[in-house]
Amino acid sequence: MAVKQAAVASECARKEASTMSENWVLKEGEAVELLALLITSARIQMEEPAHYGPLRLLTAAERLSSMIAERSSEASLEFLTENIERIPEMHMVMSDVDAYSAALDERCRAVAACLLRHSSISEEPE
Amino acid sequence: MSEAVLENIRTRRVVRQMSDEPVKRAQIEAILEAARWAPSGGNLRPNRYIVIEDAETRRLIRLVSPGMFQKAPVLILICTNWEVAAEHHLPPTDRALLIDIGTAAQTMMLAAHALGLASGPVTSYSKEAVKMILNLPEAYSPEMFICIGHKAEAAQPGMRAWKKISWRDLTHWERFNSD
Repeated sequence: MAVKQAAVASECARKEASTMSENWVLKEGEAVELLALLITSARIQMEEPAHYGPLRLLTAAERLSSMIAERSSEASLEFLTENIERIPEMHMVMSDVDAYSAALDERCRAVAACLLRHSSISEEPE
Repeated sequence: MSEAVLENIRTRRVVRQMSDEPVKRAQIEAILEAARWAPSGGNLRPNRYIVIEDAETRRLIRLVSPGMFQKAPVLILICTNWEVAAEHHLPPTDRALLIDIGTAAQTMMLAAHALGLASGPVTSYSKEAVKMILNLPEAYSPEMFICIGHKAEAAQPGMRAWKKISWRDLTHWERFNSD
């Protein structure tokens, strides 16, 4: 009986940790900052080299991660923290296409892992 | 003396992470004085410089400048004054205008380095947004920011070179052969 209760409690805790808040919003100043970045990036990208596109999107991802990390659920925190730490390093390897692609792939896998943690699907293949 | 100049040229780097440490007014003025000596096509001097130290103005500029990773205590905006260009019948497409921006920028960055300061150029920003934030006169075109400050202690190394090159890779001596 006690084992079953513990299992239920553990499952509840897991669900709580992975649940995204439905009331969770950016502060207005943060949202406007992000909009400024996205809109001005769209404009300057018209005249900049194509490979700057990923750079601008990653910068937006890093800024958004910085804005929400403190308020994130446990299931998102690691992903967001990694974005804050790793994305600035990625800008430095833009000239190495293979290293840049590999770093982007690694971030894509991290996105998928974060999505899985928030889903009902187990991250580990059975 | 000349070796010191060459060493200054060799050791200058673009710095994208700066500390909050302020830059002295005399140092800013020394950088602007150096820029005044940069070569200018026809000695026409169409460049104008806007110095921005105010924290809120710098914050707003960063928000519309996706390429400005620095949180620099001082921004110097190099502008082209189209009235000067028009006065001397220079069309907007005249290459001398762009070259003048480049010579001023490099001179400022070398001067900053000689003064023990860090610097970095930024051209990725919305010109229209910058014009509005700074209330620039109609004739002023914002062409390039030079961020000035002190290198952050934990600053990352600069962007890797696309390819390792020497001056020899960039240089050809005398005429090209026909074949």
